[in-house]
Amino acid sequence: MSALTVLADDQFKAPSPDELFTFTPIIPGVDWFTKPVLLALLSSVVVIGFCWAAFANPKVVPRGVQNVAEYGYMFVRDQVARPFLGKDADRWMGLLLTLFFLVFLWNIMGVIPILQFPVASHIAFPAVLAISIYVLKVYLGVKHQGAVGYFKNMMFPPGLPKPIYILLSPIEFLSNMIIAPFTHAVRLFANMFAGHMLLAFFSMVGFWFLFEKLTPLGATVGVIGVVMTIIFTAFEIFIQFLQAFLFAMLASMYIGGALHAEH
Amino acid sequence: MSEQERRPEDDGQDFANAAWSIPSYLLAGMAIYGGGGWLLDRWLDTSAFFPIGVVLGIVLSVYLVYRKYGR
Repeated sequence: MSALTVLADDQFKAPSPDELFTFTPIIPGVDWFTKPVLLALLSSVVVIGFCWAAFANPKVVPRGVQNVAEYGYMFVRDQVARPFLGKDADRWMGLLLTLFFLVFLWNIMGVIPILQFPVASHIAFPAVLAISIYVLKVYLGVKHQGAVGYFKNMMFPPGLPKPIYILLSPIEFLSNMIIAPFTHAVRLFANMFAGHMLLAFFSMVGFWFLFEKLTPLGATVGVIGVVMTIIFTAFEIFIQFLQAFLFAMLASMYIGGALHAEH
Repeated sequence: MSEQERRPEDDGQDFANAAWSIPSYLLAGMAIYGGGGWLLDRWLDTSAFFPIGVVLGIVLSVYLVYRKYGR
């Protein structure tokens, strides 16, 4: 990893975001093709392959890959789709299941040895997904509630005294149309970014004090670094799963809100 | 939606909607009215409208959240 090369100094240096998140192109000359892009493409291929292997030729009694995939399907259906989409849930399972698997794979890349980079910690990747969901949300809202009806239902929730709408409608608009898609992407990005920084820091502590500069006092710090790396890796796997779930859940919530006006 | 039409999943849905919308509303309220106050301050060369706007924005957001999800 590039972080190791800068330690010519005798001092311990924590890895900086610049070292951790900047990559040189894999093929010289092709600037866009870096490690995160490769991992993102790999994730897409794995998700397609996984779903193909599981659902292309489904059996009544599931075995092997299909069994695993059906657990994932049932989780997404019961926890992500049905609470927000109700009877429309099955129609949207294709999108939500792929979204969940893809984001989970992007995230879990952060703890797989050698790969070790959570794709979503480059904000462009979650931003593209969030913008896609946002476009879909507005399209569905206009289609199902009408252009006027969609914005009327969003900005003028029923049951408020009339004059107060002048004050509250801008808040509704900003919250739904600008802050919601922004936080959708940033929540995933920031969690993955911070998680990667934490893991890199603690493994750096362990590596530096146990291998680079082994001293009797430093060894204790190094052991703490290794233990913390293990604990935070476990914690990070949980966060990675949670953020994938939340990303799919919010997508489902936005789609559900566009299909039916709030009541 | 009337009481008879309520499906069992509605309660969970309302709760999740509220939980995920409230921070967004608070931010939006602060941004809109705080931003408006900031612009007024720049225009009139004062310094009072920005804090007033932020507080007003929070109050209005809390009121909106209360009316939408509080009952």
